[in-house]
Amino acid sequence: MADIGKIRIRVPSSIKQGDVVRVRTLVIHPMEIVQRRDGKPVDKNYQFINRVVVTYNGREILAADTTQSVSENPFFTFTFRATEPGTLKIAFLDTHGGKYEGTVDIKFS
Amino acid sequence: MEKTSSTSRITRRTLLRALAVAGLGGAAGPLLGPGAITAQGTLGALQPEEKVEATMKRLFGGRPIKDGSGAIKIDMPLIAENGAVVPITVEVQSPMTPTNYVKHIYIISDKNRRPMNARFTLTPAMGTALVGANVRLGETTDVRAVAELSDGSLLMAKREVKVTVGGCGG
Repeated sequence: MADIGKIRIRVPSSIKQGDVVRVRTLVIHPMEIVQRRDGKPVDKNYQFINRVVVTYNGREILAADTTQSVSENPFFTFTFRATEPGTLKIAFLDTHGGKYEGTVDIKFS
Repeated sequence: MEKTSSTSRITRRTLLRALAVAGLGGAAGPLLGPGAITAQGTLGALQPEEKVEATMKRLFGGRPIKDGSGAIKIDMPLIAENGAVVPITVEVQSPMTPTNYVKHIYIISDKNRRPMNARFTLTPAMGTALVGANVRLGETTDVRAVAELSDGSLLMAKREVKVTVGGCGG
């Protein structure tokens, strides 16, 4: 689990001002599923990502409440309008208090 | 709820640890004490196991849901060989202006034990109402995408996906 929280973010190589940009992001995370013993769910603090927050130059543009029915190593796609150069930050928060952040610079060509 | 033998010797340390991991074994039950802050992953904090009708009722109450098959595009495979990783992309036709935009997109799988997959909260700064994720599906099921618009109305579209090997396990 050494890789947990490793984040990859892909944006198109050339972005023009005003473009709607499609971003793809992947985070390495186990996203534990509920275990069962004798058909009964086992109660423990399962580790999975339950919140994703995307900010662009400090403004929140997308948030997601995720559950365990999102795959291991979750992958998300979304778009945003590139109005100014700056930083796109994606934060993943999990149930064990983990916070994993990835950033990507948005530059115009 | 099973008791584990390891908690029979309760010292202050083990008790604290048990509290921190949300009462496995001895300190049973949903915690309301200080340990509850870190214990967001316990069964009590998860989406409940329920039928999809109950999920819809819980999330949307009795609000009318209009057919949105014209406005919502669900992009996902017809047949998913592996239910553990099913890519889905939901796009809602919307101008995404500050006065008229899509506020939430819900992804709900009918036959999962816990049908609610994810809820996205969108803003006009996104330009288009497009979100994608990889979801787990337990079996062949309908997948619904529900969009809540900024004026409060709800639109829904459905797609069936055949799942060869289920991906939920629990």
